[in-house]
Amino acid sequence: MVKLRARCLLVGDAAVGKSALSHMFHSDGALFQKNYSMTTGVELLLKCVNIPETNDSVELYIIDSAGKDTLVEACEKMWGELSLLCLVFDLTSEQSFANCSHWMERVRAYCQGCHIPGVLVGNKTDLCARREVQASVAQEWAQSQGLEYHETSAKDKENCDAPLLSLAQAFHSLYRERLETTQNLGPG
Amino acid sequence: MIRSSLNSLGAKVVVAASSDENHPPESIIDGDTKTFWMTTGMFPQEFIIRFADPTNITAVTLDSYNVKHLKVEKNISQKASQFEFVTEKELEQTEGHLQSNAIPLNGSSATHLRFIITSGYDHFVSVHRVSIQN
Repeated sequence: MVKLRARCLLVGDAAVGKSALSHMFHSDGALFQKNYSMTTGVELLLKCVNIPETNDSVELYIIDSAGKDTLVEACEKMWGELSLLCLVFDLTSEQSFANCSHWMERVRAYCQGCHIPGVLVGNKTDLCARREVQASVAQEWAQSQGLEYHETSAKDKENCDAPLLSLAQAFHSLYRERLETTQNLGPG
Repeated sequence: MIRSSLNSLGAKVVVAASSDENHPPESIIDGDTKTFWMTTGMFPQEFIIRFADPTNITAVTLDSYNVKHLKVEKNISQKASQFEFVTEKELEQTEGHLQSNAIPLNGSSATHLRFIITSGYDHFVSVHRVSIQN
């Protein structure tokens, strides 16, 4: 049995639903914020995820970071050393999807070459009539960036735990891989 | 000269910031580099070794993997608290084999040694052996 700890950065444009998603996840679907209140700094949420078919778990330190461009630079100082990335866009906003590549660039520059597992999340599947981003397009881009793609609706409580569960699993696999490497090391 | 492992000399690991039951912190002081303590995510990470008696230490050798920056503190109290800074070191990255670094401690006397790993070359790092030179 092992408990892993991972710092997971949650980013994406303002108002795509990052905080709504993280609160849904954190409260196991009990809490959907009906009123919008913009995150202006960084909010930290702690959530323990059990890895299916093992006795292991991953404690996620979710860093919900403000998406508004004028606030990003200040927030970056509080990101700390990152283990995982959750990049969110709004399925009803083509612009928020297009900006994902800027977010990737920013995170890559911040991590300085250190590989971190990540997911791309298209949120607001409930607003299907206003959808501007097709799943296949998002899926393709996610793949090109090495991200796993998920669609969610924080409002309809749909699929909200999938992105963070898959991140926890990715971190757990990474740990297993590193253990194996370490077991096979030669003496110094 | 055959150097005894720290645990056979009565030393114990009294604090470790990570725990995987398959890779317990005792692996650090069993004298065997094949067994190891693994950190389980995020930094800083630390462990504290308590000696049976106040011990004069000229240097400590650390066998590890992917440790980037290390700080060493000590005290001469019975309690694992109120540490004083001794030294810090940036370790070089190795691939396929362990890092082995001798860290001079200038013959100071200690009952506890505290090792703080402030950063790593990967998400997870391991410590395989700590041995001391008197």
